[in-house]
Amino acid sequence: MRRVIICIIVSLLIFPTTLLGGNKDRRKSYENWENYEIVTIKVGTEGTKFVKVWGYGRTVDKAVMQAKKNAIHACLFRGLPGSTSAMATPAICSGANAFAENEDYFINFFSAGGPYLAYCNMTTDGIPAGQDNLKVKGGYKVGIYVQILYDNLKAKMQADGLVKKLSSGF
Amino acid sequence: MKRLWIVLVMAVVTVTAAWSQAKKPTIMVVPSDAFCLRKGYTTSVNLNGEKKFFPDYKTAFQKDADMRTLVSAMADFMARNEFPIQSCEQQIQKIEEESAEMLAMTGKYTGGEIEETPSEKLSRVASADILLNLDYQVERIGPKKRVSFNLQAIDAYTSKIISGNTGVGSEANASLTTLLEEAVLSFKDNFLDGLQRYFDDMFINGREITVVLYRYNTCDIDFETEMPYNDQEAELSDIIEAWFSDNTVSGRFTLEARTPNRLKFTQVRIPMMGRNLNGKEVGMDARTFIRPLVRMLRRDPYNLEVGLVQKGLGEVWLTLGDL
Repeated sequence: MRRVIICIIVSLLIFPTTLLGGNKDRRKSYENWENYEIVTIKVGTEGTKFVKVWGYGRTVDKAVMQAKKNAIHACLFRGLPGSTSAMATPAICSGANAFAENEDYFINFFSAGGPYLAYCNMTTDGIPAGQDNLKVKGGYKVGIYVQILYDNLKAKMQADGLVKKLSSGF
Repeated sequence: MKRLWIVLVMAVVTVTAAWSQAKKPTIMVVPSDAFCLRKGYTTSVNLNGEKKFFPDYKTAFQKDADMRTLVSAMADFMARNEFPIQSCEQQIQKIEEESAEMLAMTGKYTGGEIEETPSEKLSRVASADILLNLDYQVERIGPKKRVSFNLQAIDAYTSKIISGNTGVGSEANASLTTLLEEAVLSFKDNFLDGLQRYFDDMFINGREITVVLYRYNTCDIDFETEMPYNDQEAELSDIIEAWFSDNTVSGRFTLEARTPNRLKFTQVRIPMMGRNLNGKEVGMDARTFIRPLVRMLRRDPYNLEVGLVQKGLGEVWLTLGDL
């Protein structure tokens, strides 16, 4: 009997901690670079990519800003997934440790109001609504349509010496 | 005086940098064999009583405006990447003009004609180091159209596929030109990525070439004849193999065929840079790489008659017993 009581007390103590830990993990994952969703919508006009990307933030504005960062991050490090109407696009910085090797550069690149904004045209006017604007615990999950100036972004990385040109060495 | 020295040093550095560039492979877009056969852009040749069909690129470019659209779109993005592609159509035309001019040319004083062996004639064809084989098909889905495409970048010497891209464009009621341009934009980045990986590999592991050695029947010896080598006797093929081991990048090559009359070395990895006769660093191709072997075989104790035929940047044939 005593043992059963001890077991119940222990599990009662552990359960909320696990629950809290789960929440914490989830919140952490919102802020994680690796946790975002992106879909290629269509082949963009010359040198651009047209994607739908989601971002998390405490407010809708912050979520939209994060979504923009995510779109550029995907082009640089993750690559864009293919869809029924467009082929997959490879990451511009293909090295496995590309971010870590140039951390200072990219922290500045992705800073608030940083250079990344020059490569991102938002095509959704106003605040996203409906399924593209979801209230989640601790903030909002927002989906926006973005036109990325992919070729310009690649040229910037080449000019800054982070990516090799196709013709380099020849 | 100090300034003059600085300018001089900078000039030397610039000249050295200009010399030390690896040789740039040439790229050409050609319609795939399947496309030419499907559309009827072929020429037929009777070979031993059997009718064989070969792609007729000239007709394909002249009759197929859509193929020209695709090639133009590809040429545009390749030029933007500082890698202009050769025009197959123009190359064919140039070769035809060259042939006509060569026939008409005579020496001013001697009246002599331009000499060309059958082998030299054969080598005067439109070719490139990397061939982009392009194929597309237009499918109709009700009132809409859809383009399916297939692009393969092939190393002309190793026949290896460097980058392969297949896909289906979106269904739309747009003009075919728009759909074709959309198809090119769709595979462009993947294709460029494939090329970049190929070039990166080339700079790390060396350019991949093919070397074939043939023996003329007038030659007294064959590749199994024993010859002196480092105070011992060894078969000529073993001596040549040892040379490849010593001179390739990390000793990487494959001896694909080894018979008394023929040796074929494939996947031979050669350094991108080498030295020319004046000791200057220059981009290396198959010919520059193989020249020391030719020199070695021509000299004592081998004293062989060795001919050298270059077939682009990445393939070379050596002939034993005659030039």
